[in-house]
Amino acid sequence: MSARLTTSPRRGLLALTTTVAVGALVLAGCTSNEAPQAEGTAASSAPAAVSDNDDDGDTVVIGFSAPAADHGWMGAITSAAKAEAEKYPDVELRVAEGTNDVSLQISQIETFINDKVDAIVLLPFDGAALTEVATQAMDAGITVINVDREFSSPFAARTTVLGDNYGMGVSAGTYICEELGGNADAVVAEIAGIDSLPLTQDRSQGFSDALSDCGLTVSNRVAADFTIQGGETATANLLQAAPKIDAIWNHDDDQGVGVLAAIDSAGRDEFFMVGGAGSANVMESIKAGDSVLQATVVYPSTQAADGIKLARLIVQGKSMSDLGSLGVPRQVQLYAPVVTQENVDLYLPSAFQS
Amino acid sequence: MVNVDPMPDHRPLLQMQGIVKQFPGARALDGVDLEILPGEVHCLLGQNGAGKSTLIKILAGAHQPDEGQILLDGAPVVITHPVAALTLGVATMYQELDVVDGLTVTENIFLGHELATAGFSQRRAATRRTRELLARLGHPDISPHKEVGRLSAAGKQIVSMARALSYDARIIIMDEPSAVLDSEEVANLFRVVRELARDGVAVVYISHRLDEIRQIGDRITVLKDGRAVAQNLDVAQTPTPDLIRLMTGRSVDQVFPDRLPVAPEAEVLLRVTGLGLKGTFHDVSFEVRAGEVLGLAGLVGSGRSEILETVYGARTATSGTVEVAGRRTRRGSVKSAVDSGVGLCPEERKSQGLLLDEPIYRNITLSAFARFASAGFLDESAERRAAQQQVEALDIRPHDVDRTVRTLSGGNQQKAVLSRWLVHGCRVLLLDEPTRGVDVGARAEIYSLIRALAAAGTAVVVVSSEIDEVLGMSDRVLVISEGQVVFTSPAESIDEHQVLALVMEGSAA
Amino acid sequence: MSSQHVSAKPSPAGAGPQGAPTATRPRRTLLRGSSGRSIGLVLALVVLCVVGYVTGGERFASVDNLMTILRLAAALGVLSIGMTFVITGGGIDLSVGSVMGLATVWATTVATQTMAQDFHWIVMVLVALAVGTACGLINGVLIAYGKVVAFIATLAMMVGARGLAEMIANRQTQPVKVRAFLDFFRAEVLGIPALVWMFVLVAVAGWVLLNRTTFGRRTIAVGGNPEAARLAGVNVKRHTMYLYGLAGLAAGIAGVMMLVRTTAGSSTTGQLYELDAIAAVVVGGTLLVGGRGTIGGTVLGVLIFTTLTNVFTLNNMSISAQSVAKGVIIVVAVLLQQRFAARGRAT
Repeated sequence: MSARLTTSPRRGLLALTTTVAVGALVLAGCTSNEAPQAEGTAASSAPAAVSDNDDDGDTVVIGFSAPAADHGWMGAITSAAKAEAEKYPDVELRVAEGTNDVSLQISQIETFINDKVDAIVLLPFDGAALTEVATQAMDAGITVINVDREFSSPFAARTTVLGDNYGMGVSAGTYICEELGGNADAVVAEIAGIDSLPLTQDRSQGFSDALSDCGLTVSNRVAADFTIQGGETATANLLQAAPKIDAIWNHDDDQGVGVLAAIDSAGRDEFFMVGGAGSANVMESIKAGDSVLQATVVYPSTQAADGIKLARLIVQGKSMSDLGSLGVPRQVQLYAPVVTQENVDLYLPSAFQS
Repeated sequence: MVNVDPMPDHRPLLQMQGIVKQFPGARALDGVDLEILPGEVHCLLGQNGAGKSTLIKILAGAHQPDEGQILLDGAPVVITHPVAALTLGVATMYQELDVVDGLTVTENIFLGHELATAGFSQRRAATRRTRELLARLGHPDISPHKEVGRLSAAGKQIVSMARALSYDARIIIMDEPSAVLDSEEVANLFRVVRELARDGVAVVYISHRLDEIRQIGDRITVLKDGRAVAQNLDVAQTPTPDLIRLMTGRSVDQVFPDRLPVAPEAEVLLRVTGLGLKGTFHDVSFEVRAGEVLGLAGLVGSGRSEILETVYGARTATSGTVEVAGRRTRRGSVKSAVDSGVGLCPEERKSQGLLLDEPIYRNITLSAFARFASAGFLDESAERRAAQQQVEALDIRPHDVDRTVRTLSGGNQQKAVLSRWLVHGCRVLLLDEPTRGVDVGARAEIYSLIRALAAAGTAVVVVSSEIDEVLGMSDRVLVISEGQVVFTSPAESIDEHQVLALVMEGSAA
Repeated sequence: MSSQHVSAKPSPAGAGPQGAPTATRPRRTLLRGSSGRSIGLVLALVVLCVVGYVTGGERFASVDNLMTILRLAAALGVLSIGMTFVITGGGIDLSVGSVMGLATVWATTVATQTMAQDFHWIVMVLVALAVGTACGLINGVLIAYGKVVAFIATLAMMVGARGLAEMIANRQTQPVKVRAFLDFFRAEVLGIPALVWMFVLVAVAGWVLLNRTTFGRRTIAVGGNPEAARLAGVNVKRHTMYLYGLAGLAAGIAGVMMLVRTTAGSSTTGQLYELDAIAAVVVGGTLLVGGRGTIGGTVLGVLIFTTLTNVFTLNNMSISAQSVAKGVIIVVAVLLQQRFAARGRAT
């Protein structure tokens, strides 16, 4: 845990004034939680110019907290965030040890509040559980960027960066529709992750919606548990259940290692497979074209890195240069692109190691 | 039967008439009468197995009598379960203190009859009542809120007594209450008992210590083999030798096999020197020769079983040595003892001796199965044959080595444990209560088996609570009291009365 | 010391020969004992197979599917056989799943795989087995000599081994790069996958060990009544330690099998396998309190669970429905066991 967080005197003073200001507002009887107030003044001081966003500005201290890196994607979240922060000399990133313990993560955020950081980029283990402490941070004048798992209150974050689970399903389904080219009898199988998670349900819903758009349905569906062994077991049984398959979508490239092992072991290759999340070895396999793996749908592991960038812009009072409107948007939902042999080189650098 | 007239000026509070209790294989009570007067301390005397505990369990509602009736204030009552006994005013303090360590004094006292209104406990009232009870028992110093686990044994006993009183008991049964107390605490116990008696509470007092009975008792009933052999004796007018004679008077014919003379030059197979186990027994020394049967006599808790287990290595001695045929065994190592030829038939046959759900043959070969194996692979048919031989030789019924041991009678189970050491072969055999729970017929078989083993050159050590058994089986007897050998003698030159006097008087405070 | 048969009186039949009474015995033991109790399990498996055939037809009743079921059952089966010994010996081991995961990770580290490339793929196998056995022995020492309750000691190992695996793997997947390792274990002998052969071998070895050796007899004695075993001269502590070592070894073997199946080591491997193994053992008829164990029952228990998953997948049914069915099977099996136990006692 990064318990030892130092604060520069200058920052402390600034945060103090903000706190005092907020406190005064509360005393005055105003309803608090006016989220955008922090950059209200800043926006006027730095009107959006086309591309000076990367220029050095005031130093921004950003606290970062995410769940334990217990799988490749989550590991990549933190390392991408760190790498992004390194690019900016005016960003000072304080990274709390990844944890799946909600109360520990809450205390990490409390520490950030006490240390009066400028911004917090938070990928909560549980969005609802972290909402209250995030709201406190906002009340203390700290810009909170919510990543991936949404808070339950709009006042808990200035901006939210989300992946698109439903969109992943749509992308995968649309790609499979195109590839199968109107074969209405095609057998499409789906290997989901942990069924009880909303993200799995969203992905499956998107997949099924996209398939039905071209008159297909999911013929066989199994759920694994995001682990290699789970993927292997589910797939081995799936392949027995469906003697002939045309396409498979596997939700998660981590469990995909097991999925491919089972396919390999069964000696099946009459179908093509689409992955999910976008790990580096899956992309390399797509590039090499040596397996049934033909494409994967990206669930960006650069979300937190985007969060760092946006936090810096907001604190420095800048806007997104490619948008005409002033101010960073309240919510950014990232696209879930399909990576195939044609465009794999574009995505390989940002892929995560599973 | 000795009968002394009850004191004529009192109507009996409680009468038990012709109580019979039959257990599978044994008649525990065979028409016992008991009469308790209000405000008296009535002592119940008898050897182990005489039926004392069965009698008080019937009184406490834990057992139902097969025949006979119980009168309370002259009216017949049926005590169907322990709570019924309590509501009738009969409370029992068992030998194993039945308090719950994790609860407070108050909670223990009102356990099962909590003071409560509509499910909410009236803690203040309970605390007040507890204070009153403790004060009455002469212990206002005990806090009602103290956790019972942190009290001394005497303190726990007070709590137990307070619980009995909390039911407004008119009769309190105390089963060996002084066993866990030191002399000062015993004095306080007596004071409390006297005060209870003065308040009109009748106390049924069970103890082995005759000196205590003399101090506290009013009248005595002596039980022997499930019968009351003497009733309502006046404590002050009955001499100790009479009591001992009443307790030991022979009833069941037990034919002990003839002793064979042990050759003085026979090899000393077991030599125990200065053996001690801290807090249990100390400085125990004895020798057993080939062909000799040595008996250890003593009360429960005297340390006799512990001595056997320590010799066997099942407990680690804190001092002294054990030599088998001149070779010293390793302290606290059963394997070392077994390897040098020692075998033990433990006191608790079921919990210490047998694999109850396994077949007979596996129990018989439990110590020796490795011998029926080559390179670790068992030859079960050889095992079965060896077991079959024992089953037939010892007449273990049924003669079916595949039968589960659980289904056997006590005597046959004991023979199975014994035969284990015959298959293994041993030069020193330690027997702890070899006839407990064994019927009379099987006893005789076990006696002759032990004698036959001795004749074949085995050194045998026997522990038994039944003094006549120890005397009848052994060549030589060691009397153990409070962890010490207090007397050694050839078995012929000491009788049951002397042994009983030794173990009882020897333990006088 | 040679056995010294004292033919003590009182029965005159004492010196009788030992021929006659043995003749009737073998038949009776067949009907009694574990095989008799397993009839219910065989029945359950048959019912499951009939359901599979009716609903899945050729897809279920193919050799290919049979081999898939056996292959999937193999790792859990080996794990459960190790667990059978521990439970029969009166213990419990919650750590086998984690230890299995640790074994897969340790066997696929860069260092191990480099060594395997340089010398022989057997290095990976040996590493996995050594890691498993070592963890098991640590459990055993803690439980037998440290007097830590088995539940707690193995719970600690379960958490600790998982953590160590995560540290070593850095929570990343470690693909098996030693081709020869995969080639060897993914081969088929007589049309049967190597994994299935391993399962069969371990099951047969386990059966022999439990039923035909002194080791097995000690296990039953220690589990049935540790005090009686101790007083009969069995070294209960040492044997207890061996039992956990054996469970660890089984976890190591299962780890190798899992590597073969998934082609990668991962710190997530073996999650919740300890519970599946305990369930299979108990459903199989081994008493949770110890003293009676059946390898055949355990194998049947594993096969029932694996076939269940297969049949459910063939019918495209959800994981949740499978879990419900699994729960029902566990409860019904244990209830039946108690009925049998009560009846056995009554006779």
